[in-house]
Amino acid sequence: MLRHLANTAVGRRLRSSAAAGGAGLRRMYHERVVDHYNNPRNVGSFDKNDPSVGTGLVGAPACGDVMKLQIKVDEESGKIVDACFKTFGCGSAIASSSVATEWVKGKQMEEVLSIKNTEIAKHLSLPPVKLHCSMLAEDAIKAAVKDYEAKRSKSNSSQEAPVEKAADA
Amino acid sequence: MAARLLRRGLLRAPRPLPSSSPVTSQSSLLFSLSDHSREPSTSANSPPFSRPNLSCNSICCRRLSSLSEESHGPAAIDYRSTLQEDEYHRLANSTIHDLLEKLEEFGDSVEIDGFDVDYGNEVLTLKLGSLGTYVINKQTPNRQIWMSSPVSGPSRFDWDQNAQAWIYRRTKANLIQVLETELEKLCGQPISLS
Repeated sequence: MLRHLANTAVGRRLRSSAAAGGAGLRRMYHERVVDHYNNPRNVGSFDKNDPSVGTGLVGAPACGDVMKLQIKVDEESGKIVDACFKTFGCGSAIASSSVATEWVKGKQMEEVLSIKNTEIAKHLSLPPVKLHCSMLAEDAIKAAVKDYEAKRSKSNSSQEAPVEKAADA
Repeated sequence: MAARLLRRGLLRAPRPLPSSSPVTSQSSLLFSLSDHSREPSTSANSPPFSRPNLSCNSICCRRLSSLSEESHGPAAIDYRSTLQEDEYHRLANSTIHDLLEKLEEFGDSVEIDGFDVDYGNEVLTLKLGSLGTYVINKQTPNRQIWMSSPVSGPSRFDWDQNAQAWIYRRTKANLIQVLETELEKLCGQPISLS
């Protein structure tokens, strides 16, 4: 679905700017952004009800950008074992969230909170007007971690009740 | 549910998004992250991250994008008074036009290679040659002014009724003060933008 959408609006824009690049005009998208667009990493969805999954949903369609970033965390080690994303937005937003999923994999939850939007923007050579996309990606990571921790604390507090029931029986 | 919303959003994408047209952007589908949209929050009692609802509320849009920002330290600003759209346009336009004038004057007095101030489609672009480029624009759905700075990166300013200024909630920074400080440091010459 994402590719179909991409092929229509964004694809046309990207292809036309690539053609413009061929004609001697400055390329508008850095090749890393184009790479993430053509070969998206980790596009997909986890079951948000899975207790080991944290979901970060940031942005709004009216603003032009929505990112859903999900992390799968190993409960014992606190390590992020898998990540996926779905983004509605410009090529820079798609690339930023794609990079974010790549960078969080295999890291500790506390560690990924230190991923800064400036690093993502530098990696993709984002122009000034697109720096906001990288910030949204950073926010998505933080939101996903926050969601996972909220779920975990909720399940921890509800674990006491069943034990009491067993004692009564 | 979030996936369904996302898919619906994706289906709408081929239509060109209005950048700052008031009516159509308000009627498009918006996410709501928090059940209680009007509650002012501080770091002490910020609401737990709850599942997104299907309520289409333009106020919630602003809450959504600033929810993660609120968690980064105490939010002392009371944004219970939401800005009406025409009021927002009036304030934002006057701020940006004011900046445009003062920056143009600044450009005349300072010697920077590649200095250029441009205003088009409600986007203010300030080029400082090799020192970098500032982009300042309105983000109407959020009632914000967005700025991209070569010094401090991206920031999003909300109108604070009490301070009568544009404030970035995450850092409590004031738009005018940030610009004055950064420009003075970059160009070596003080500037007054208020």
